[in-house]
Amino acid sequence: MSTSPRKRPASEALVAGGVVVLLIAIIGLVFLSGAGSALYPPKAATIQAEEVSKLYNIVFAIAVAIFIAVEGLIVWSILRYRRRPDDVDLPPQTHGNNLVEALWTLIPTVIVLYLFAISWQTLNTVDYTSFANGQQPDIQIHVLAGQFQWQFEYLDSNGKHLATQTKPLGEGGGMAVPVGKKVYVTLSSGDVIHAWYVPRFLFKRDVIPGVTNHFEFTVDPTEAGQTFHGQCAELCGTGHNAMHFDVIAMTPADYDAWLAQLVVTANATQPPPPSGTPTLQLAAKNIQFEATDLTAPANSPFVIEFKNDDPATITHDVQIRDSSGAVLQTQDTIPGGSSANYQYTPLAAGTYTFFCSVHSNMTGTLTVK
Amino acid sequence: MATHALNPAAVPAYRGGLYEWLTTTDHKKIGIMYVINSFLFFLIGGIFALLVRTELAAPGIQLFTNEHVYNEAFSIHATVMIFLFIIPMLAGLGNFAVPLMIGAPDMAFPRINALSFWMLPLGGILLLLGFLTPGGAAAAGWTSYPPLSEKGALASPGPGQDLWIVALILIGTSSILGGINFLVTIFKMRAPGMTLFRMPIMVWTMLVTSVLVVMATPVITSALVMLFIDRNYGGSFFNPATGGTAVLYQNVFWFYSHPAVYVMVLPAMGIISEVLPVFSRKPLFGYKAFIFATAGIGALGFSVWAHHMFTTGAVFLPFFSLMTFLIAVPTGVKMFNWVFTLFRGQLTFSTPLIFAIGFLTMFLIGGINGAFSASVPIDFALQDTYWVVAHLHYVLFGGSVFGVFAGLYYWFPKMTGRMLDEGLGKIHFVLMFVGFNLTFFPMHMLGIQGMPRRIADYASDAGWNDWNLLATIGGFTIAASILPFLWNVFVTLRNGKIAGDDPWEGNTLEWATSSPPPPYNFDRLPEIRSERPLFDARHGHLGHGGHGRRGDADAVPALAEGQHDSQGPTA
Repeated sequence: MSTSPRKRPASEALVAGGVVVLLIAIIGLVFLSGAGSALYPPKAATIQAEEVSKLYNIVFAIAVAIFIAVEGLIVWSILRYRRRPDDVDLPPQTHGNNLVEALWTLIPTVIVLYLFAISWQTLNTVDYTSFANGQQPDIQIHVLAGQFQWQFEYLDSNGKHLATQTKPLGEGGGMAVPVGKKVYVTLSSGDVIHAWYVPRFLFKRDVIPGVTNHFEFTVDPTEAGQTFHGQCAELCGTGHNAMHFDVIAMTPADYDAWLAQLVVTANATQPPPPSGTPTLQLAAKNIQFEATDLTAPANSPFVIEFKNDDPATITHDVQIRDSSGAVLQTQDTIPGGSSANYQYTPLAAGTYTFFCSVHSNMTGTLTVK
Repeated sequence: MATHALNPAAVPAYRGGLYEWLTTTDHKKIGIMYVINSFLFFLIGGIFALLVRTELAAPGIQLFTNEHVYNEAFSIHATVMIFLFIIPMLAGLGNFAVPLMIGAPDMAFPRINALSFWMLPLGGILLLLGFLTPGGAAAAGWTSYPPLSEKGALASPGPGQDLWIVALILIGTSSILGGINFLVTIFKMRAPGMTLFRMPIMVWTMLVTSVLVVMATPVITSALVMLFIDRNYGGSFFNPATGGTAVLYQNVFWFYSHPAVYVMVLPAMGIISEVLPVFSRKPLFGYKAFIFATAGIGALGFSVWAHHMFTTGAVFLPFFSLMTFLIAVPTGVKMFNWVFTLFRGQLTFSTPLIFAIGFLTMFLIGGINGAFSASVPIDFALQDTYWVVAHLHYVLFGGSVFGVFAGLYYWFPKMTGRMLDEGLGKIHFVLMFVGFNLTFFPMHMLGIQGMPRRIADYASDAGWNDWNLLATIGGFTIAASILPFLWNVFVTLRNGKIAGDDPWEGNTLEWATSSPPPPYNFDRLPEIRSERPLFDARHGHLGHGGHGRRGDADAVPALAEGQHDSQGPTA
């Protein structure tokens, strides 16, 4: 018995090669047809994301090339080198080859060093902040994350508080930013770890209690009027999947008007309820209402004196819906550690549900009679 | 005839029945119990995966009563699959194979070996008992980052999280004991002639794995103990509200859990490095380079943990990015070694080889998509999205699990003396391969389009419906692929084809004894002059000299073909 060089019909190599080419063609077609485009990031909305997107395209091209080369070699080998009934002799017992082994160590090393270098370059753009470079950003926003809502505190150029956007998403909430301006964001959490993530910014950063993280971005000026969906990306508890926010891109003029309006609204003092209005007490702690049954008089305005005893980053409100689920009366959320006198318009006798619009588990029965 | 006669009388014979299984210190029986126990947890973890995929098949909360139960389901899915399936399954296959492969009669510490095994079902039961406690099982993810895993009313108030901690400490202790046992066995109990550079690659990977386990597992145990103190004895290691540092836990956790990825994948690499040469009728291409690459991965593996933490803003990004990129080099070396083992071979497509090729093709994707996360700016987009879920499953399922099945099909004849059915094996592979790709490839799209992981629900207008439905269909296809495997095992054990000592024309010493081997493993051993002693015995000097550079030129046939008689008493 001896080892022998392979004697293979040429047709077999043709078949094997043909299958490899076919597979490459299928992969190519998938990309051309558009199904492959789902493997590319969504359209970049910031100048930083634009850089990441370019980097992604380079890495992706190299990845596809390596994938096709190695996968092609595997497919070729399994088609070409099947054992045949007349294969009694051993194939050549190749133990190795110093040259090819050196090559497939060195070439990948060069590739990964190249990838590292271009990644680092892009990182310098993505991680750039004005403050770190002795400059002043255009806008400063302090993001507060809490279970399970975002608040956006707008600061002036000295870092002083202007106003806080506490409204939940869907009730006028969201993070408004002017396009083309450097927006410097600080992040803090009062409870567990969250992550600020906007897919079209190709960016996320963890919001860690006890630490203030920061980053800077500039929205592409062509995106004025667009709204970008954002979401918490770090598991933060039961309501994690519902912790959404929007980033609303505005022209600088619109933004200035919006911010001025926010400051007016936030500083407005609510007119006190007429004296003698029936008043109910309600408090919330640990994302629970402390009472789940309230009784109010029928056909009369009433007030709920609401106290939020949770940490400052956790917001609540008390809204009312009827048995069909239709929301009848809304209120603005208040942060933990504060209280509000919510005023409600008269309700007909019946049974209603009061609930917190931030936390779906917080509900109670409001009996009106 | 140059064989080493052994003295069977030095080792007690098996006792009967259940009593034997409950009290055994035999590495083969313990290995088989590891495999069975791990497989049961694979089924349990798989059921949780199906629950998760069912919930995500369409937008809205359908299956679970609330999001908290969903969080329990994916937390326990991952914990079970990692700590009670992949790690112990590979340790079990190693437990069965390593002493046989180095010509030893048993592990170095047989009773500690039994202890390591019995801690696993105990840990698993404790973990699952969480479902019976108020508040349910652990729901903070398998990573259990504090402060979410702390005791506060808004975090994880229930005892399920404590049971998770205790279970992981037990399982970790089992791993450490097993790791020490492997190290001593490999260093002290090799047969005459079995030098370190003649050891099968499987043994080398178990050696490096054991070093990782012994060095890294105590670190996570310390994190778990600290978390337990935080939760129960007023500690404040990790809770910022009381002066602790939340990110500290992540550093300590990943200092173990990144090397743990290699604990989960190196032995699977070892398995396919045994399977590919046998079914190609060629030696592994670049045996020594492969060993150095394995050691290199093990060493580099300790310097990349913070790539799980790029978005925390608390780690030095360029260093961990560079190290993560570099680890692709030894991994690539291995990939080329495997492919060039197939190249110009004579391939027999038995089920073990098919699963090994499944490993190659899928692990390749798991390696390539990992490079995206090594690039820090791209990782800022991908971290904690479904891209990461795709990546880790291409490594741990496409890699490790396909490797596990290659090993199960490969060693089943040695464990039981019977051959699994090839037809059912191929049905199993096709279903699993198709199902796997249907499940996990769309997760790349979901991740890059912005779907975060660990969410119980998503908006119906987010554009994620189709990919999620496809992934769920794939998940059930994977589940279906397990049925032919179970049926195969069942019918083979009742009425399977008798395997004989060496059904695959193996290269390594476990094929030089009966199937199943006697309690003391070997009556006699062939001469060991290379990493393929049985190949040498079968083919003489043909494997060496003239065709390559690394063979021992002085290798001589030890046993003429057909003469490797090792009919020890069977159990």
